[in-house]
Amino acid sequence: MGSLEHANWFMTALFCTMSGIIVGSVLLAQRGREMFIRRIPGLSAIEEAVGRATEMGKPIFFSTGLWGIDVVTLQALAILSYIVKLAARHATRIIVGTADSTLYPVAQESVREAYEAAGAPEAFRAEDVRFVSGDQFPYALGAVGIMARERTATNFLFGAFFAEALILTENGRALGALQVAGCPDPVQIPFFIATCDYVVIGDEYYAASAYLTREPTVTGSIVGQDIAKALLMAIVLAGIGLATYFGGQHMDHSWLFRHLGTGR
Amino acid sequence: MRQTVLKLLAPTTGTASLVAHLAAALLVCALLLFALHRLLGPRGRRWLIAAVTFAGGLFYGLEYFLPAHGKPEKNFLTPWIEPVSVALTVVFAFTVGLGIYSLCQVHGRNVGRRRPGWHNSLAFFAAMVAMFVSGLWEHHLRLPEPLPAVVPWPKGVYEVLFNGLYGPLQAATFSLLAFYIASAAYRAFRIRSAEAGLMMAAAFIVMLGQVPFGRWLTSWLPAAGPLGSLRLEVLGDYVLTWLNTPAQRAIAFGVAVGALAMSLRLWLSLERGTFFSEQS
Repeated sequence: MGSLEHANWFMTALFCTMSGIIVGSVLLAQRGREMFIRRIPGLSAIEEAVGRATEMGKPIFFSTGLWGIDVVTLQALAILSYIVKLAARHATRIIVGTADSTLYPVAQESVREAYEAAGAPEAFRAEDVRFVSGDQFPYALGAVGIMARERTATNFLFGAFFAEALILTENGRALGALQVAGCPDPVQIPFFIATCDYVVIGDEYYAASAYLTREPTVTGSIVGQDIAKALLMAIVLAGIGLATYFGGQHMDHSWLFRHLGTGR
Repeated sequence: MRQTVLKLLAPTTGTASLVAHLAAALLVCALLLFALHRLLGPRGRRWLIAAVTFAGGLFYGLEYFLPAHGKPEKNFLTPWIEPVSVALTVVFAFTVGLGIYSLCQVHGRNVGRRRPGWHNSLAFFAAMVAMFVSGLWEHHLRLPEPLPAVVPWPKGVYEVLFNGLYGPLQAATFSLLAFYIASAAYRAFRIRSAEAGLMMAAAFIVMLGQVPFGRWLTSWLPAAGPLGSLRLEVLGDYVLTWLNTPAQRAIAFGVAVGALAMSLRLWLSLERGTFFSEQS
């Protein structure tokens, strides 16, 4: 198979089809079509986690993971925005730790807007959105330091995490905090499952903003996303059938594989 | 036009030219930001953000999806990738200053108000100044490779701080993971439900299949034939390759489609309801 620095015709067609399905679902939702999203325990636990911090009179810590501005961290900011609104209603303090200087001002602005939307702009404290460190382990130690000094009752970890995740969650657990984590990386999910109270798994991570806000636009895109996944499953099944028919090792020379891989 | 842009973005030589370029760039940026803040209200700013986001997404999307020819493959947008990346790097570089400001703000207040642990914040300032000064000085020295037997003291300070202190501290933190993995595994493997029991059984097979002791346990089984499939290393490999990999790929498929949906929402500014507190 050739390099994919540029898309081939099949990828372009697949991208356009899936994008069309998602945008179509968004438009349908905006026109008032009722759409159902199943219950996601990890996201339902957010209110419980914020409530726990409120009852204990202790702050919440939110980690945005290691990456800078990208799809993963922007989704984390969407979740953060919802949590800040919830915390602002209960007058609970929330401390945000970022590991990327490009994300830091965006996170600060997101938190400020969320406080304003909740009708509590005076509760926003600029120093509560912090750039901890740009390096992996200094960030982990800095974040654990915040958890220990501030005695946080709840820790939220949403974003891209790697080896530092266990340092964060094991220390958070030792400090007695309730922990809710979410990460799209399948390699990292087992570590969170072992150490956190609630975990948002795989594509549930991207369904978070729809689940939490119930806004038609986002809800529609989640339904479109599920239809696109069904399409992918159909393609996988077709691939299994073709691989079985062509006999595996002859696939490289088949007409279909040649056209999917390098044809343009 | 591309040549003009590339010329502007090309590295300059000579101190006077560098200072002139920096001053001009800062002045233009400051004027532009001032004008945007004065002319645009909150609504206008949102439109500007939406327009820039759409243009950026369109540029990278078209560059990837439009037909490309030649070796290496190029289309008419490909030559612009580098200048755009350089411009983005410059914008990102500005945010490093914001990061340093955030750190100084938090630790400065700790020291100023003598909060508990304020001496740690003082250590932060001492470390930052020491690394900043020694790092710049060491860079300015431009020492030859290999290093002379006696190195100037700024280089020595830098070596002690970075390679002698910072590096080992990072390694020490990383090594803590071994203990955290053990404690997390202990809790995860306690059989409290049917699912936890299944996980324990799978982990038991995979772990034993990876170590010589596990292989020795079932070494009496013949390597060939149906009984060979019951050897722990074969079972462990089966669990990893045929059970774990498809599940991981299924999650990866879901994540990829989710990322596409999220990207579309951001690109078309449909996600604004989440970030700007109102449905677009």
